Amino acid sequence: MLDEHGDEAKVVAGSTALTIMLRNRLIDPSVLVSIGRLPGLADISADDGHLTLGSLATHRDVELNPIARERIPVLANTFHKVANVRVRNVATVGGVVAEADYASDPPAVFLALDAEIEAEGPNGKRSIPASEFFLSFYTTALAQNEIVTAVRVPVPQPGTRAVYEKFVTRSSEDRPCVGVAASMRLSADSDITEDVRVAVGAASETPQRYPDLEKMAVGKSMTEDLARSIAEGYAERIDTLDDMRGSAWYRTEMVKVWVRRALMHALADARAQA
Amino acid sequence: MIDARERVTGRVPYTINVEMPGMLHAKLLRSEMAHARLTRVDASRARELPGVVAVLTGEDIVAMGSIQPRFGPVLRDQPILAYGKVRFVGEPVAAVAAVNADIAAEALDLIEVDYEELPAVFDADAALADGAPVIHEEPPHPGPTFADIILHTGAGSNMCNHFKLRRGDIDAGFAEAVHIFEDEFTSPAVQHVPLETHACVASHEGDRIVIHAATQIPYILRSQLAEVFRLPQSSVRVIVPTLGGGYGAKCYPNIEPIATALSMVARRPVRLVLSREEEFVTITKHAVRIRMKTGLRADGTIVARKVEAHFNTGAYADIGPRLIKNGGYGTGGPTDIPNVWIDSYAVYTNLPPAGAFRGYGISQAAWAYETQADMMAERLGMDPLDFRMRNLLETGQRFATGEVVDDCHFKELLTTVADKIGWDASAPTRVIGPDNNGSGRKAVAKGISCIIKGTVTPSTSTANAKLNDDGSLNVLTSSVEMGQGIHTAMATLAAEEMGVPIERVTISQVDTDVTPYDQQTSSSRSAQAMGAAVVGAVREIKEQLVQRGAELLEAAESDVEMVDGKVQVRGAPSKALTPSEVIRGTRAGNLLGRGTFQAHGGLDPETGQGLASVHWHQAAGAAVVEVDLDTGHVKVLRYEAAVYSGRTINDVQAELQTEGNVAFGLGQALFEELLYDNGQLQNGNLGDYMVASMEDMPTELGFNILENPERGEIHGIGETSLPPVMPAIANAIYRATGVRVTDLPVTPEKLLRGMQENAAAAKQAIEAELVA
Repeated sequence: MLDEHGDEAKVVAGSTALTIMLRNRLIDPSVLVSIGRLPGLADISADDGHLTLGSLATHRDVELNPIARERIPVLANTFHKVANVRVRNVATVGGVVAEADYASDPPAVFLALDAEIEAEGPNGKRSIPASEFFLSFYTTALAQNEIVTAVRVPVPQPGTRAVYEKFVTRSSEDRPCVGVAASMRLSADSDITEDVRVAVGAASETPQRYPDLEKMAVGKSMTEDLARSIAEGYAERIDTLDDMRGSAWYRTEMVKVWVRRALMHALADARAQA
Repeated sequence: MIDARERVTGRVPYTINVEMPGMLHAKLLRSEMAHARLTRVDASRARELPGVVAVLTGEDIVAMGSIQPRFGPVLRDQPILAYGKVRFVGEPVAAVAAVNADIAAEALDLIEVDYEELPAVFDADAALADGAPVIHEEPPHPGPTFADIILHTGAGSNMCNHFKLRRGDIDAGFAEAVHIFEDEFTSPAVQHVPLETHACVASHEGDRIVIHAATQIPYILRSQLAEVFRLPQSSVRVIVPTLGGGYGAKCYPNIEPIATALSMVARRPVRLVLSREEEFVTITKHAVRIRMKTGLRADGTIVARKVEAHFNTGAYADIGPRLIKNGGYGTGGPTDIPNVWIDSYAVYTNLPPAGAFRGYGISQAAWAYETQADMMAERLGMDPLDFRMRNLLETGQRFATGEVVDDCHFKELLTTVADKIGWDASAPTRVIGPDNNGSGRKAVAKGISCIIKGTVTPSTSTANAKLNDDGSLNVLTSSVEMGQGIHTAMATLAAEEMGVPIERVTISQVDTDVTPYDQQTSSSRSAQAMGAAVVGAVREIKEQLVQRGAELLEAAESDVEMVDGKVQVRGAPSKALTPSEVIRGTRAGNLLGRGTFQAHGGLDPETGQGLASVHWHQAAGAAVVEVDLDTGHVKVLRYEAAVYSGRTINDVQAELQTEGNVAFGLGQALFEELLYDNGQLQNGNLGDYMVASMEDMPTELGFNILENPERGEIHGIGETSLPPVMPAIANAIYRATGVRVTDLPVTPEKLLRGMQENAAAAKQAIEAELVA
């Protein structure tokens, strides 16, 4: 159907985003293709080191799913922080990645966790790393005739602790001004950092992650100063945007604050379980 | 609430539930331009679309000749549909009625509109500048709804109205002052966001109009429709189901003339319900800039105040010309200032009309004077609480309008909330953190405020009551139930007066064919005004019971009295009759009572002196806030609201009203703001415009509702506790951060910028000292 109607068609699942776009006449498709009742796409399952979130699983499903909560608690926590329960009851996993709204919470976490977006179309299935999926405002690597079928998230190695810091400047139900996902793994017998990841969402067109800045912390003991340096690096590189939740200047300031806080929060959690 | 069961089971009938045989669905085409000549509105293709029954443009309405094409509660300046030109983005240009809403929406796309863009103005300064484009070329035409208002309009300019207040000798006042402070305060336009948007179902068939409307003003709507459609008022029937919130948004006619005109052409009932996006461009709270100059004696008492207030009233007057009176005199604040000079202006701009909004001008006024109070106290080195206690009105003192204020409780209200939060001026700020899991330093501090608010005066309410032959009572009132609980309040008062259980009392829905005149459900007036009318109606029934009971008891009327709801011979409880026995015994069928409440007053148009309010509403607030010093993010930890109710009719509802005010105030203090770009609203939906959610509410919220049983006079509380919220929170934020924000909302970004500037200035000062 997507092939037949081309740009005139839009895929719809939970329709929380699409309805707003339609009502504000931002888009004017002549055909809506509802995938809401496709079987099997709402499952959440774990296998061979991955957690697979079906694209039709709702935010609420992820938030409450016992497997997700046990294997990758930060995912459940992040989906819990999205909007309010009315929205979470219908908004889907596939929808939030396919829409690629810069102000959504989950993309930053998917990027930090090296998630892969599973897509399927007439030419078969493929798997797109999160780092290559989000291209710009509302633009993804999906072909016009492809849909998201699942998001596969590697279960972090034992000992890893991850956090998602959502910072809002208006109502607590607002979208983030800045959202930071950070994960950290300390070596089993010392305070040395073995793995660090930081992804910043909502601050720019797409979520941003800088592996070279992350590596600054590997093999060292994480300190407030080191966290601050990494945060400054992110703030320097991210081309922050202006919107009603904050100016570019303010967002840059918030990247400095929240990357540092996310790292220190992850560190505290990692130490607590060690 | 007496309708609690219906509410929780989803059985309250709202306007959107009204279904009528043959009902059509209407949609509106709205202007894309802020200010433009309409060179062509061609609806011919829309008319041909199958399923479309009626299409109207502004020119169509003018061409009909039988309809007055413009309406408005004070000035008849608002076209039913735009003709000649459009004056704001979102103004209705054409209307379609079709067999269903989808076809009506499709038809809108077939209407072609050509605009010739005109220069536009969006704020008061630009609108009043020399050579500014004039939004209304014709002089405004006043109507008779508010006979007391005397207008100072500026024909040929964008000055919609000017309110003046002159008390004492302003120059002498400032000459006497030891300290003089001049500050500027602004508040932005915000939206009411009622859960239910504007809605109506109109039927104009034959010589009658029957309209179901979500409105707070059934009788003003009736008179406006009668005027527009040139019918006797008796031929217009306004029925008002329960409202899903009003907050002032539904105070004046708006979409009702459009639906009625469509129905007139279609000869079928027409339903018009606004979308949320449309609601955002329908009516707003006035954006205001207030310049306030206050003179103090050495001891901190206020001796003079001069105010210039510019209210951005948008493209049409709505109630703006009247609201600037309240917003103007309101800047006098709860203080007997001997010398006051106020100029308050309503200014036309190319934005959606601004009108009544919970707080009615007083929120904007209080934002100025209660922020300035803290600023002045600091400059004098005084405790903000002491500063206020020195200046707050006491019974017998005079307000800015020169009238003596009776029954004052300002000091008691303020000290109550200050005590609750443990006000201590000597230890204003507590810094906590950082904790070890990444959160930063936070500052906790307290703030207070206190306000005065009038209620619409003069005003009139009438009510009827009907005592049935089983002793049950029907109350006929045109007060609108909009969630505030007016039906419960009226049932309580009627039951109490009649001496029957509340279950035996039924409050009518509003229907102007049946329920008698009421001015409006607004201004926190109904509990007092309609309450007095309802009690009066029941008293009239009781007089008849005594009269008829005396006959049946074969006693002199003067020997008969009402005791516990029965008619009885004085001192002889065995000789008593129930109301039911009286009605049946005299074959009266039922007993009818009428009650009227009327408040008199008014202000001199040149001096603003006179009687502004039949009595005064009083409130105070105290906030404890926590500010994240790295981000400027604010959490309100605790809020104590105090309000003078005189007599509380229902404790739970009084608290709920107050809680609603805190939610409104918290959102407006911290983030609510309508953002326009060249007149185009940027955040006109609930994804982009934020209101306070449950999670944003203060962690601890206290209600202090003060009564005066000796007096027993009911004071309205629907809005009273709202205006203190914004300054109380902002005053607390200042004490936490040292950043004084004078333009609402107090956003994290403004605070962070202010804190960084303060830090830079402090550093510079230290360096300068080292150099020296």
